[in-house]
Amino acid sequence: MALNLLADISPWLPSHSSDVNIRRELFAALIGAILVIPQGITFAYLAGLPPEYGIYTAIFVTLFASLFGTSSMLGGPNTAVAILIGIAVAPFAGRGSPLYIEYVLLLSFMVGLIQLTIWLLRGGRFFMYLSPAAITGITTGVGFILILSSLDGIFGLSSSDTHFFYHKLYFLFDDAENLVNPFSFTVGATTVVAGMIARHYIARYAILIAITVGYLCGLLLMSYYSQVEMELELLGHLPINPLPFSHPPMGTDYLITGLAMLPDALIIALIGLAQSMVIVKQLRNDTDQPIQPDKEVFAQGIANFMAPFFSSFAGSGSFNRTQVNQSMRAETPLTGIVSAGIVLVFILLLGPVLTYLPMPAISGTLMLVGIGMIKSDEIKRLFNWRGELAVFATTLFCIVFLGLQTGLVVALILSVLLFVISASSLELIVEREAVSVKIRVEGHLFYASIDQLSQILKKHRQENVILDLSVVTYLDLSATEAITRELAKRDIESTFFAVKLSSERLQNQFETRMADQPVQFIQYNHTY
Amino acid sequence: MVDWLIRLFFNNCPDSLKKPFKRRFGLLLLLLPLFIAGPVQSEQLPIESLLQRSYLDDYYSNVVYGYRIVTETEKYGARYTGNNLRCSNCHLNAGRKENGLPLNVAGMYPKWRSKNGRRNGIGLRIRECFVYSLNGIMPPEDAPEVMAVAAYISYLSHGETIGKAPAGRGVPTLPDTGYDPNPASGKAIYDQTCAACHGSNGQGIAHMPPLWGMNAYNEGAGMASVHRAAGFIWANMPLGQERTLSHQQALDVSAYINMQIRPGDPREYKLLKLFETVSWFFDR
Ligand code: HEC
Ligand code: HEC
Repeated sequence: MALNLLADISPWLPSHSSDVNIRRELFAALIGAILVIPQGITFAYLAGLPPEYGIYTAIFVTLFASLFGTSSMLGGPNTAVAILIGIAVAPFAGRGSPLYIEYVLLLSFMVGLIQLTIWLLRGGRFFMYLSPAAITGITTGVGFILILSSLDGIFGLSSSDTHFFYHKLYFLFDDAENLVNPFSFTVGATTVVAGMIARHYIARYAILIAITVGYLCGLLLMSYYSQVEMELELLGHLPINPLPFSHPPMGTDYLITGLAMLPDALIIALIGLAQSMVIVKQLRNDTDQPIQPDKEVFAQGIANFMAPFFSSFAGSGSFNRTQVNQSMRAETPLTGIVSAGIVLVFILLLGPVLTYLPMPAISGTLMLVGIGMIKSDEIKRLFNWRGELAVFATTLFCIVFLGLQTGLVVALILSVLLFVISASSLELIVEREAVSVKIRVEGHLFYASIDQLSQILKKHRQENVILDLSVVTYLDLSATEAITRELAKRDIESTFFAVKLSSERLQNQFETRMADQPVQFIQYNHTY
Repeated sequence: MVDWLIRLFFNNCPDSLKKPFKRRFGLLLLLLPLFIAGPVQSEQLPIESLLQRSYLDDYYSNVVYGYRIVTETEKYGARYTGNNLRCSNCHLNAGRKENGLPLNVAGMYPKWRSKNGRRNGIGLRIRECFVYSLNGIMPPEDAPEVMAVAAYISYLSHGETIGKAPAGRGVPTLPDTGYDPNPASGKAIYDQTCAACHGSNGQGIAHMPPLWGMNAYNEGAGMASVHRAAGFIWANMPLGQERTLSHQQALDVSAYINMQIRPGDPREYKLLKLFETVSWFFDR
């Protein structure tokens, strides 16, 4: 155990991955860096922070998550986490104010601590229970939120009182000529259209192309109209410092706010880990990378724990960037480590040019990311499964109408419910044979599922019964008790009762508990 | 926990429902620490003691942020700033000096934006000073920086009468001296009385702001008007010996300063800023 923990703490070294294809990894890192810059900026905006904090997050959280990770998963700023940070801290201080930033650092620190605790308790495996339907619901919901929040930037709305989405849509239709800024709209729409077209030809670079086109469109407008006339929102100067040391605020003063934010920290920690673990699970299925899920939990925890020391906010694994990374066939954490460095160099070089990047172009890329998160083929597949569809629909509904936080809690509860229901439901196949009835059981036999079996047995009390448990791998005390009870009521003289088990271990277990009972066994390796 | 539950369920209700709830419970919880620390709400706290606090409500945290932007613009307002000036270089004593462009003027502006009121309100004045006086880019009306400075301005305006100009608003209007401003004599005055602080080429020195050159306010700024600048100089400069210049001397030196080279008006030189940036990019 202690050894395990120690092994998790060690950083990744090139020697851990045999035959790294350096060129491939470096190129993937370059693309990853280009993708993360606009996302960092917008997610900082969603979290209520100045843009440079998003860049720092793109650098340092990505760096630490990969340094201690085992896979090609790219961490860093994340949509859901950023939105949740914004919701959590907003009641305590004015957006973007120094106090607000301190609280965000405190929150990120707490998130890191909680995740490290989960790692110590080896809790990573529990995230594997999150149902894929709930995850599809979450990503779809987040995509929807992204699209809506991108409308602000694209139409040049002020974020004043358009909180609820149908408010926003209503305002837009009702008062378009007063609210919509035509210049913002031109830039934003150009960006989105360029991205949609590019997606058809070179999907990988779609975001890059979109934002470049948006930038050029902004320049074109700026050469005819001044920024003051257009009221076109620009990114502005990014005061980037290569080593932005900071620290989470400490002291009793912050205790009260810290405590008040604890439930939020918990939700953010769980959601961050859940997303990362889902990505890890996918990568483990699709590639042969030597992935250790527990180590990935540690990597996420330590990345968020370190974030507040480098002016960054909490993040998690990123679906869209990891996907691109995978399509470039990157296979090691090297990609993430290098891409962090490239982001830094890029920003230091390009900072002055980025100053004039129109915000509607960034909002446009946000909308593209949002559209990309709504995967219609995945949703279509869900339509074949009633339970999963219900989970998906409920999650989506809650996120859209009751907010992300509520939706996430509901998704977690529903996944657990779905799991419990599916684990406790038995498949019972009754086959009538020459002299007996064969009852084949599939599933786990335990207190929650035993009732179904008892009912069937009751029905066939007068007949010879062969109970086929050869695919049952789990049996608990209440199951054997129920069978004993049933046997007591049977007519032992004229009928027989036989049980077939899947393994010697289970049979031994069963025999000792069933001692003196009129029950026969069919050997587990017996074929008939 | 309670607060969180309230937020969980009420965050997403329409504002009309949310407000009373938040006020009743949320605020109570938020203010708990303040009650422990002492009464705050009735009297406005001096800014110095606000700066010491680590728990402030939404309004006061914006006030403190606004104060920081005004006094350390290069750090807290960097995103939209394009030169070496701070708001408080012109809005003296962080906007609290009469005749030194005081900022206690919230009552002079409509409190609520009219529906398409991008073009009025205190927010617009703040944004304009970013574009012209700080030669930067125009922040959007809902930028956190603009909101924070607006909060600070309404904090300063506490106690002023709405619609009535506060005492010493802006800068004094100098009486007509009967002579045109004379830049030549202005140069002599400048070299003698101002250059020690503002540099022989108006470039500024450490802790002293520049008056012209590419790091000063641009041609669209309020200070670029000779008469307004003369009023400012007469009432506030040389620092520590204010009102020692005669009206005519202030006009002369003001004309001299505003004849010098400075960034153009962004409304006329549209892409100039960009070319500057790009050329800087290649010069490196
Ligand atoms: C170069 C000097 C200078 C700087 C720097 C400067 N201002 Fe001003 N500001 C002025 C002048 C001059 C006026 C008066 C303009 C007028 O009356 O048209 C003014 C007016 C204002 C007003 C309206 C005051 C009134 O009486 O109605 C506000 C608000 C304001 N500025 C905010 C700011 C803020 C915020 C900053 C910093 C981001 C700033 N200013 C920086 C020179 C400056
Ligand atoms: C003792 C040094 C000193 C002298 C002498 C002095 N100034 Fe200043 N001046 C300052 C300082 C300091 C500020 C900024 C005020 C602040 O930050 O509190 C300033 C601000 C200004 C500003 C507005 C800010 C800007 O950069 O545009 C103008 C205009 C100005 N001075 C003009 C003059 C003129 C004209 C003279 C000569 C008559 C003069 N000053 C003499 C120290 C001085």
